[in-house]
Amino acid sequence: MTDHPQKQKWTDLATKQLKGKSPDTLDWMTPEGIRVKPLYTAEDLEGMEHVNTLPGIAPFVRGPMATMYSGRPWTIRQYAGFSTARESNEFYRKNLAAGQKGLSVAFDLATHRGYDSDHPRVVGDIGKAGVAVDSVEDMKILFDKIPLDEMSVSMTMNGAVLPILAGYIVAAEEQGVPQEKLTGTIQNDILKEYLTRNTYIYPPTPSMRIVSDIIGYCSKHMPKYNTVSISGYHMMEAGANSVLQTAFTLADGLEYVKAALATGMDIDVFAPRLSFFFGIGMNFFMDIAMLRAARFLWHELIKPFNPKNVQSLMLRTHCQTSGWSLTQQDPYNNIIRTTLECMSAVLGGTQSLHTNSFDEAVGLPTNFSARIARNTQILVQEESQVCHVVDPLGGSYYVEALTDGIISGARKIITEIQALGGMAKAIETGMPKLRIEESAARKQARIDQGLDVIVGVNKYKIEEKPLEDVREVTDAVRVEQVERLKELKAKRNAVEVQKALEHITRCAEGDGNLLEASILAIRARATVGEVSDAMEKVFGRFVATTQCISGVYASEYGNNTAVIDALRKRSQDFADKEGRRPRILMTKMGQDGHDRGVKVVATAYADLGFDVDISPMFQTPEETAKMAIENDVHLVGVSSLAAGHKTLVPQLIAALKAGGGDDIKVVVGGVIPPADYEFLFEAGAVGVFGPGTSIIDSANQTLNVLEKKHG
Amino acid sequence: MTVDIDTSVNGLLNGNRRILAKTITLIESSLSSHQSLAQAILDRLLPHTGKAVRLGITGVPGVGKSSFIESLGMLLVGKGHRVAVLAVDPSSTRSGGSILADKTRMERLCADSRAFIRPSPSSGTLGGVARKTRETMLVCEAAGFDVIIVETVGVGQSETTVSLMVDFFLVLMLAGAGDELQGIKKGVLELADAVAINKADGDNIEKARRAQRDYETALQLLRPASPNWSPPVLTCSARDLTGIEDIWSVVLKHRNIMTSSSELDQNRRSQSLSWMWSLVEEGLKDRFHHHPEVQHRLPQLLRQVESGMLSPTAAACQLLFLLDKA
Repeated sequence: MTDHPQKQKWTDLATKQLKGKSPDTLDWMTPEGIRVKPLYTAEDLEGMEHVNTLPGIAPFVRGPMATMYSGRPWTIRQYAGFSTARESNEFYRKNLAAGQKGLSVAFDLATHRGYDSDHPRVVGDIGKAGVAVDSVEDMKILFDKIPLDEMSVSMTMNGAVLPILAGYIVAAEEQGVPQEKLTGTIQNDILKEYLTRNTYIYPPTPSMRIVSDIIGYCSKHMPKYNTVSISGYHMMEAGANSVLQTAFTLADGLEYVKAALATGMDIDVFAPRLSFFFGIGMNFFMDIAMLRAARFLWHELIKPFNPKNVQSLMLRTHCQTSGWSLTQQDPYNNIIRTTLECMSAVLGGTQSLHTNSFDEAVGLPTNFSARIARNTQILVQEESQVCHVVDPLGGSYYVEALTDGIISGARKIITEIQALGGMAKAIETGMPKLRIEESAARKQARIDQGLDVIVGVNKYKIEEKPLEDVREVTDAVRVEQVERLKELKAKRNAVEVQKALEHITRCAEGDGNLLEASILAIRARATVGEVSDAMEKVFGRFVATTQCISGVYASEYGNNTAVIDALRKRSQDFADKEGRRPRILMTKMGQDGHDRGVKVVATAYADLGFDVDISPMFQTPEETAKMAIENDVHLVGVSSLAAGHKTLVPQLIAALKAGGGDDIKVVVGGVIPPADYEFLFEAGAVGVFGPGTSIIDSANQTLNVLEKKHG
Repeated sequence: MTVDIDTSVNGLLNGNRRILAKTITLIESSLSSHQSLAQAILDRLLPHTGKAVRLGITGVPGVGKSSFIESLGMLLVGKGHRVAVLAVDPSSTRSGGSILADKTRMERLCADSRAFIRPSPSSGTLGGVARKTRETMLVCEAAGFDVIIVETVGVGQSETTVSLMVDFFLVLMLAGAGDELQGIKKGVLELADAVAINKADGDNIEKARRAQRDYETALQLLRPASPNWSPPVLTCSARDLTGIEDIWSVVLKHRNIMTSSSELDQNRRSQSLSWMWSLVEEGLKDRFHHHPEVQHRLPQLLRQVESGMLSPTAAACQLLFLLDKA
């Protein structure tokens, strides 16, 4: 690479301003492993093949459409859903009236995992992290007075994807809308569930067959419908950096393409209907570059399949601002964070966008916070004048160089995955999950050291009362759903339902299309749980194997080990006095599969000298109590991110007492609204660690509790 | 921890899980006060021990030990057995802490009231893994568990230790994982009462059969420990639940043969003796290192041996002589 003719002059000047230090000392190594220099020039872009291409034309770095937002701005698509179908429907209609353009439905975790609301494993989950849907009757209420022939509907569903998509199709049909008119997207991205969120039901092989069945059915009957939304968002939320997010997401996409091709479909029949979903974090320029790089790489990956339709090569994406970046402390800062992330998605060229509400670190959005979130996008679209020009950062030396950095970093990982035999095989080896968890543990260690700044959390902290106006979903929702299920089952034709369910089971054993079979059952008023069970008989339920890294958290401290050493000494002192190390059981109860937090805490605590037990996922409080009692831990650490804590924590404490484990203490961490702290303490918890608690602080507080008890 | 010996003994004999768990904690404790309590309880329990099938399972990380135990354990509780699983997890030497995640792979078994699973960190106990696991096994027997499974990672010393405390030692292997012996020490095969090739499912079945033949050949070259038993090689899949029942039949067959030839009793007696001797040796070492005179003299003698001023033999004599001083 040649240097800018005046580079030497600049270097001298910079060295002088740095009082003799070389400007190289300003280089910053990003978590992605990309070296960022203080200055970029045209010379940095020499030989980069993605530079100076045009939008709408391969390789699409600058956008899939020729005119992008200058022709039509991105779709404001806010993801929402909670409580009952009726409450969510009211919320949707209010938002649509206020300027939102598309719908995006969030389902509760019981629905995701294929359990009806009356199932004993889901008492803490109904209506909490999304809307509870048990049958097509709920689905009809959810879309009441929303014309499904005009409204594009996105549904985040992966586990119970068949009964839910069938429910949507039948609800439309009974609204008088034929399925070929339906527009929107079903997430249907099961592979990433095994990496992060864990809302799968069946093992990978039958799950991939379900994905193919949906792609096959929709390519015949629902030509305008996007059949897979390949999602990196959850990987970012779980701690993946932007290179990992790009690589794993595209590798997932490639796996779906291969699965569909294997069923004999033509690439142009389904590839244009694949869409993507990326998460946008606080590294402003990095994620602009990420979207540009992802489009370039997708074109590169699909080209060898020789599609005739150019749309098969285009990466179209939805984006969402990071929920993880939001803080409980000084929460109005979150509006600013979301605005920056929104700008990043827009400058990266997203096709649709969800902006988070500022209160999502503590609970579900209120009407007020939802309005501010929506307005964030409306302001950028209608006041800021950024929409007039396509890819306005195209040609920026820095952004182009970053784009190149992500392209080459992600390409390397994708090649590695291909060498393992593709993403499904790679997932079996555990490689992608461990990489993400390592990335997450390192980030947590940087935050705990103050190297990554989070305002209000590890810098510029303020003393103030946190948000009190938090939306809460009570147990009344579960009671109502259970009632409605009883009613439904009393009214329907039981024989017909039974026949339809048996038909599904036979399809699962053979090779009939499972979506077609599910539509018949849902039309006959079979429930989401029943349809899921009919397949579980054949496919079984998947049990994740948990691998856990160790040593990563402490190693990120480099030579600054004073705090680590101090805690190790405290653990050792405890062991010398008590005869064993502090032993803690980390658990997740209910259907909340977000296990990033619990894994990061587990690996960090082990690094700090604790003995850490990890429970299987999806435990009932009784199962967790049994394990705590048998392992004779000092303490149970409950991680809750899906609002189940008020039900599950008291049940756990009761189960511990019943089994003779009343000396075992309970601490709770995760997304806990401040208003619930008192409730949890009264229920018997001895510590509550909300979002943003440093692991060092929580470990010290935990030891305080243990020492007090034993001291 | 306040413990009443009578309450503990009665509780254990009545199968009280909380007391069982607490007693294991005493056994694992590094405090000598806990130790003597544990010994007092153990003495009272001894008449109630010895009736269980003691099964050791080893294999390299990734071979699927935990999933195998989940499948075997579920099969056994289904047959009316009460199963205790003792798993030893390595502790980090730097932090001293450990991650005990075995139960995540034994989801159904750990929720089952007929099973008791106790993973233990390997560090920080007097007498190490061996004493702790052995005594825990006895306590579980007294608490009414009739199958005790001891799980160990087959990459260190622990597999020999475990083979010396069980009646049947099963070595799990994978097919086609490169090197035929996959980094597992060849000596481990000599300890095996049976070898099972796990993950014999899907595309892997053919490879597993080939590995089965290879291991059969390898085992024929070893002299069997008992004239009445040649270790068989089996295949199984913890995922598809195939071959698990066969492995259990092999364990029972072995038990019948060993019982009728009285080798089972002989083995257990010789295990007790070797166990006693290893405790004596460990105790001597421990006494040596903690002897005040030794501690006082040792640094100087070390320096002298290092610098060649004193022969190692002379130094050793001097040190051992110190032990005789009261």
